[in-house]
This record gives sequence, C-alpha cells and structure tokens, in this order.
Amino acid sequence: MTTETRLRAPAVGPDPKRRNTLKRGDSLHRGNRKQARRNTLIGWTFILPNFLGFLAFTLIPVLAAFALAFMEWTSFSAPKWVGLQNFERMLGSDSFWIALRNTVIYAVGHVPLTLVLALGLAMLLNRKLKGIGFFRVAIFFPYITSLVAVAVVWNMLFSPTDGPINQFLQFVGVANPPGWTSSSDWAMPAVIITSVWRDMGYYMILYLAGLQAIPTELYEAAEVDGASPWQRFWNVTVPSLRPTTFFVVVMLTVSSFKVFDLIVVMTNGGPGRATTVLSQLIYQEGIGEGKFGYSSAVSLVLFLIVLTVTVLQFKIQQRRER
Amino acid sequence: MTNLTEDLKAEAMPGGGNDISARNEFRRRSPREQKARTVNVIVYAVLVVLVAALMVPFIWMVSSSLKENNQVFTVPIQWIPEEFVWSNYSDIWTRIPMMGYLQNSLYLSVIITVLQVLTGSLAAYGFSKVRFPGRDVLFLCYIGTIAVPWQAYMVPQYIMMQQLGLTNSFNALILLQAFGAFGVFLMRQYYMTIPDELCEAARIDGLSEYGIWARVILPLSKPALASLALLTFVNTWNDYMGPFIYLTSNRLWTVQLGLRSFVGQFDAEFAMIMTGSVISVVPILIIFLVGQRYFIQGIATSGMKG
Amino acid sequence: MKRTTLAAIALAAAAGLGLTGCAGAAGPAEKPAAEGKTTLSVSVWNYEGTPEFKALFDAYEAANPNVDIEPVDILADDYPQKVTTMLAGGDTTDVLTMKNVIDYSRYASNGQLQEINSVVDKLDKENLAGLDAFDLQGKYFAAPYRQDFWLLYYNKDLFKAAGLEEPNNITWDEYAELAKKMTGTAADGKKVYGTYQHTWRSLVQAVAAAQNDGDLIGGDYSFFKDQYSMTLDLQKGGTLMDFGTAKSQKTSYRTMFESGQTAMMPMGSWYISSFAAALKDGKTNVNWGFAQLPQKSKGGDITTFGSPTAFAVNKNAQHSDEAKKFIEWAAGVEGAKAIAKIGVVPALQTDDITEEYFKLKGLPADELSKEAFAPDKTALEMPVSDKSAATDKILTQEHELIMAGERSIDDGIAEMGKRVKDEVLK
Repeated sequence: MTTETRLRAPAVGPDPKRRNTLKRGDSLHRGNRKQARRNTLIGWTFILPNFLGFLAFTLIPVLAAFALAFMEWTSFSAPKWVGLQNFERMLGSDSFWIALRNTVIYAVGHVPLTLVLALGLAMLLNRKLKGIGFFRVAIFFPYITSLVAVAVVWNMLFSPTDGPINQFLQFVGVANPPGWTSSSDWAMPAVIITSVWRDMGYYMILYLAGLQAIPTELYEAAEVDGASPWQRFWNVTVPSLRPTTFFVVVMLTVSSFKVFDLIVVMTNGGPGRATTVLSQLIYQEGIGEGKFGYSSAVSLVLFLIVLTVTVLQFKIQQRRER
Repeated sequence: MTNLTEDLKAEAMPGGGNDISARNEFRRRSPREQKARTVNVIVYAVLVVLVAALMVPFIWMVSSSLKENNQVFTVPIQWIPEEFVWSNYSDIWTRIPMMGYLQNSLYLSVIITVLQVLTGSLAAYGFSKVRFPGRDVLFLCYIGTIAVPWQAYMVPQYIMMQQLGLTNSFNALILLQAFGAFGVFLMRQYYMTIPDELCEAARIDGLSEYGIWARVILPLSKPALASLALLTFVNTWNDYMGPFIYLTSNRLWTVQLGLRSFVGQFDAEFAMIMTGSVISVVPILIIFLVGQRYFIQGIATSGMKG
Repeated sequence: MKRTTLAAIALAAAAGLGLTGCAGAAGPAEKPAAEGKTTLSVSVWNYEGTPEFKALFDAYEAANPNVDIEPVDILADDYPQKVTTMLAGGDTTDVLTMKNVIDYSRYASNGQLQEINSVVDKLDKENLAGLDAFDLQGKYFAAPYRQDFWLLYYNKDLFKAAGLEEPNNITWDEYAELAKKMTGTAADGKKVYGTYQHTWRSLVQAVAAAQNDGDLIGGDYSFFKDQYSMTLDLQKGGTLMDFGTAKSQKTSYRTMFESGQTAMMPMGSWYISSFAAALKDGKTNVNWGFAQLPQKSKGGDITTFGSPTAFAVNKNAQHSDEAKKFIEWAAGVEGAKAIAKIGVVPALQTDDITEEYFKLKGLPADELSKEAFAPDKTALEMPVSDKSAATDKILTQEHELIMAGERSIDDGIAEMGKRVKDEVLK
C-alpha cells in the first residue's frame, strides 16, 4: 500500500489531476486560462512535426478510404455513390461473418497468451546475467525468422500423423490427437499457437523497456514493508507497468484484428474458410477483385470494432490512474 | 514448484534482488547468495530450453540456405543437407545486386527510424506531459488509424502520392512510414511512467518545456527509445508490401524485394531466398546487440536522484 | 549538452540523407532514351527469372533499331496487385502484360485497355492458340504470345524398372492403375509415389471441365465427381502424397519429380524448359519424357487445358502505335520463334515453330514427347468473365475441404454450386 501512495504522489504542474484541483480555486481562474492557452501552444509545437506527416500521409488517405465505403469504385473510373449498399451486401455475406468470427477467435486467443508470456519473459530476462544479451536476441529471433521457415517448421510440428506434437500427445494418452492445420476445427488453434510463439519476443522488448522505468526505491520500500515477492509483483510491478500494459494490449488487439501475413503463409485461410480473417477479405475483395467500396466498408467495420475496444481500455486506464 | 516460481519472480524484480538484501541483511548474506546461484542455474536452464525451441525454424532456414533449390521442401524435412552448397552464399551477390539492396534497405531503415524516434518522442511529450484541450481526442485519432489495415487505404494513398509526384522514390516511403502513430503511442506510454515530480522540479529550476524534454525526459527514456528504434528498424527492414508498391525501379529495391525476385510464376528458388534471408538477419542482430545494452535497470532511479 | 548535440547531429544526418534523395544503389540508373528513339515501356514480372521477356525485347529491338524497350520489372508474386495500384494512380506504361485471363477481364471491362481489333485482324488467327479467350463480344483488348498447356511428365527409368510401357495416350483409369503399380520403394530406401498431383485445384477441376465440356462458372459442378473420386482413391492408397502434407509442407513439384520421388506428374508445359535447365546444370539426373495428359476415354481427341499470356495496350499509353506494332510482332511468327528458342511455348503453333522448339538442348528426343506437344484441343483453364475471380476463390476453398477429407465429394460439389450461385451469380 505504501508503495502505491508513493508512486501516485500528487503531481504539480500541468498534469491532468492537478488541473482539476486548480479549476476549483477561483482566484487562479484567469491565470489558469492564460496558462491553458500557453499549454495548448506548447503542446502543439511538440506534436506538430509528427502530426503534419501523419495528417498528410496517413489520416487523409484513411478518411478517403472510409468515404469509399459508401461508394462503388473499381479504381479505374470515378467512384459512384451507393449509400449503404456495401454494408447491406456485407451483412448478408457468409464470408464476412465467418471472417469476423475467425478474427475475434484469433484475437481472444492471441492477446492474453502473448501478453502473459511477453511479461513473463521480460521478467525472466530483466536481470544482470552473463550472456543475457544473447538470450534477449534469441527470444526475438522468431520475429525476424522468415515467415516461410516458420510456416514450414510449425506445419511439420503440427503434422497430424507423424508430427512431434501429436506423437507427444499420443504418448501421454490422447487417443485421437487433433488434425491441426489440416482440420477445420483445429487450424485456428494451431495458427494462434504459432503466432503467440512468434510475437512474444516482440512484446517482450516493450515490457523490458517498461520495467526499466520502475524506480528501484519502490521495491526497496516494499521490501522494508515486508512484502513478499508475489505481493511486490502485484503491488509494485503490475501497477507501475500499467501504461506499458495499456500500450501492449492495444497494439496486440490491433495487430490481432489486422493479422494477415502469418495466416497467408501458414494456411492461406484454409482449410476451406477455417482461418480466413477480415484483413484477407479486405485484401482479396479490394485490390484482388477491384471492389474497393466493399473492402472499405469491411475496413470501416474492423476499425469501429477495434476503436470501441481501445476506447474502453483507455477509459479503464484513465480511471485507474485517478 | 510454487517456491521456485516465487524465487524466480523475486529475482526478476529489478533491484529487488541481491544488492538490497546484501545491504540490509548482513546475517543472511551467505545462504542468500547460495540461493541466488541456484536460481541463476535454473534461469539458465529455462533459457537454454526456451532458446532451443525458438531457434528451430531459424535452423531450418540456415539448413535450407545450404541446399540446392530442389532439395528445400522435402517430405520428411531433411535437417542436414545431403551436400553442403556453400556456393549459395557467394552466388547470391552476383545473381542479384544484393549489396545495393542492402544499402537501400539500410538507408531507408536508418532514416525512417531516426525520424520516427525523433518526432515520436517529441509528440509523445506533448501528449503526456502537457495538458491542453482536445489532446485525448487527437490521441485516440492516432491510435485509431493504427487499427485500419493498410490494405484498405493503400490505393487512395498511392493515388495521392502519385499526384504529388512522389512514387518510385525513397521519399514516398520515408514520408509514409516516418510519421506513423506507433512511435508516438509507445513513447507516450513510457513517459506516463516517468513521475511528474521530475518535470516539476526541472520547471522550478527554470527549464523550458523543450529543455525538460531534451535534458530530463529523453535521458530517462533510453530504454524506450532503444526499443522504439529497434522495432522500427526491424519493421522497416522486413517490410515488403510498402516498398513493393512504392519502389518500381530495380535500383531502388530493398532486400525484401530482391529476395522475392527469386519467386517465379510457377516455382521459386527457395535455397537462394533462405540464403538471402539469413544474410538480411545479420544487420538486425547487430542493431539488437547494440540496442539491448540500454535495457538495464537503474536509469530511472539515477535520474531521480540527480 | 552532450545529448542535445547528439540529437542535433542525428537530425542533421537525417535531413542530409533525406535531401540527397535517391541514393538508389542497386544496379545502373535508367539510361536516357537515345536521340530519335522511342522508348516503349512494358510491364513484366520477374524480369531476371523469366527469360522470355528478354528474348522478346532483344529480338524486337534488333528488328526495330529505332525502338528501345524498357521493362517495368514487377515481382511475380503480387504482379496483378501492383499493376492495379499503378493504373489507379494513372500510370503511363505503354504495354501491360496480362498474366492471366481473370485480370484481363477486369482491366478490359473497366475500360483500362485500348481495343486492338486492328492488330488482331492482321494475325494468323487459325494457328494462334488462346486468342478466343480475349474475345469480349467481338472486341479484342489483348493478343496472346504464349500459351501453356498441360502434359503428363514421367520418369522413364522407373517405368523401365517396373517393366511397364510408357504412358502413351492413356485414360485416367489407366493412369490410376499405373500409379498404383509404380508406388513402392526406391533402391535408396526412399518412398516412390506412383504420381504427384500438385495441390492446385486445376488438377482436378480444370481437367474435368476441359474433358467434360463443363462450365467452371456455371454453378453446377457434378462433372467434377469422377476426377475427385479417382484422386481421393489414389490418396487413400498412399499412391499420391496426402493433400494436407503436400500443402502444409509447401511441397515443391520440382523436388518431387527431379529427385525421382514420383513416377508420373501432370504439369504445365512451362516446366519443360525449367527441367531442361536443371538437367543441363547437373541438378537432376532423372531420365524424363512427357506424354499427353490422360483422357476421359480412349480414342478421342487429346483435350488438355492451359492459359494464355498476352500483351495489351494501356489506356494511358504514351506510345500507343508503337505498342500495337510490338504486340502484333510478338504474337506473330518472329515473336514465337524468339521465345520458342529458349523453351517457352508460343501461342502461335505451326510445325515450323515446333521444330524450332525441339532444338532446345536437353529435351527428350522420343516420338511420344513430340506427339504430346501437339494436343488437339486446349481448353481455357478459367473462363474470361468478371465472375471468374470470385468463383475461383470459392472453388479453391471447397477443393481444400474435399481433398482434406473434411467434406464428402457429393457434399463438397453441392456446396460449391450453392456458394457460387449465392455469392457470385446472384
């Protein structure tokens, strides 16, 4: 408890919580306003260099793509306004619902598993040990290994008849081990396992950086208070990592909903449509078949889902900070 | 088992391990040290097993790079080539202009990384340490665009770039990728973990906001800067679709495009592709080994004391 | 202080590098067009790895000294995607190579290509295989220069060792019979499969459509049934590699045939020149031959399938007339000879050109191979229509399910029909 309070010591200066308390003091009101204008100016000068590039090369094209969701456009001629027709087609399409379901299943499996493993690895590797640099690099290796190699080796491991995974399962007494990538029911779990294996090193890097920001004093204080390692983990590490966790969760959610490369190389959406995901649908329908209006409509839906999840997480994070 | 994991966690705690206990608990020093050694042995064992499991596909990659093209995909997998074709590693430099491709990749990755880190950390300061109206909405806007798959706005973006006369040049890719939301988001989240007292103290000392960013925040955020730089570099280095769409002239191609040129209409030279992939991992390894030194504990603390 | 300096240096370095702009280092810069010469740009895939383009361009430049051809080199993998994006941006490349007829129909029906009836009228329509595919209600927007078709490759030594006769003009039943007999173990202990059918759906579906006059975008696929039964039967008996394994291990058909792991293999004619090259480089020692694709029944015409590759003129071309001249040349005798020389099958098929073709080093010299090279009828692998792309996707997905044993043949065929009717034809 002590540590919590110390970490959350009231901040002075242009901090959100501080501002709220200031607003209540009437005498400060005018200076406050001036300060607000100054802050706005200062804030924008910091943001501007990045924002200009972001606005011109990302935001505008994204908005243009959203506008296309209400049009019919083959990319060869002028777009034609069709209102909600693309959305009607989407809601009535099996392929869309299957892809949406697969994407959600993928995200639900991929996000928590990767999160926990990345944090665990970061804790394990956040120490001074001989050769720790080597181990850190090694954990990052899956992320830089060619996807084709990843797909071939994992598919071999998952091989239904003579793959090591199923041989092990049979050894421990599973009579009918799953068919993994060649079975409609088990292809998605196989993809999730592979992607967790591949991504955990990436997010470990982020946690590793986050762990550096925790002041050592907090642990010392916790130790003085007689906190057990477990208590220290829950009361110091986890709350201190909250901003990092927010980042990791949002990035994981976003990347899960956008997953593309790994699935294309590993199963290409198959067998059948068992692992087809939304971004594949967007790619196929859009640049593959020239139905850019429809593919934009699907992206808009994908965007709204992810945005909802993100805003929820943002609100939760802000509430916790208070 | 529970004890063991607890110990592991205790060890994993930055600063929660040996030094403090050594300082505070003189009497128990020697058993503690012994315990620490045991823990280290266990950690090593865990790491070695883990690393082995993580390296298998990479080993396949290396093994394939030493085969003939028609020996790569065999059933069952052949881990040790029948005959080691070392010549792949000398041939690749003449089969494709590999050196030029590496230079192009390096050029793009370095510039994009520098710009991303610089503008990202600046903007992040604005988003985390300065309070002004509309800040959070703008920030959500940033995050929101990350959620849109590139496949969806690739074509509108291309048309725009074409009209600006920027396609088929490095500038197009630099402009597209250097100002992404990823860096802003990452850095903002890290700055949130830096206590505001530090900024306030600097403010009282008479530093301007820019001074605080440059002299207080930046030095404190080395681990985050290192991870942002590393991840941006890797992502740019390994990017395929972006360079594919924007770089048409062969002399502008990056390594990833160069390697794909071994894929034909009906078959592919996979031994060559794997050879190139192994070569293209080397620069990343160098960057990583340099960068990971910044993931050491205690920086934040020293900053706080000083 | 030190840190700000560092940041400043980094910034300066970035700016400096940025300003120097195109530090493109790989390969020579594009040469400017020489005085008085026209530079004709042609979009191609994998220029280095697809020698037919260089052969065509060199020959054309030699015949037309006032023209310089500039290839726009695009990766083979995502060629149509890149071309689509470029065209959306108003690209002015003169000649566009149509990698397959599905993309052709999309570009043509959206007005991205120029009509070239005037060129087609001057061509040897009788002998130009695959030309019909480009006929859109009497209008042609592209002319083929290359037409691959499917053959049956076989390993002569394995046939000899088993004491079996070469597969001269056989039926699918005989093919299955032979495959079963040929399955076994080689001298070095490796398994030898009787045949290898790659995972592409065309191996079942396009064959069935070609030999039964079936319509691949019709919505009724009962004509697939026999071909599926035969294939699944071979797979069950271990005569054919399991589909799941072949797909997930990305099995290469070249490895299968070139390492002697299969006795037979139905495959496209593009493989002839690749195999000959591997033989020349000592990367394989398989004693090969090719025969006609197996047929539904004995005694009829030899019907196979394939798909043409063609050149078209971009709507925004800068040199339309030059582009049309080039297309006419490429689809004519000289173009055909230029690519036949390097082992690529031209669309124009005459005895002259076949002779030219068989001059290639490493080709089997037996009569059967020559005979197999002249099928009676080559059906189109996929019809030209704006529905082709969407149908192709559905047929591929359902094909996987049937081959993986997740659906019975009847259910799979019914599902294909239902989905194509619901999602495409509606």
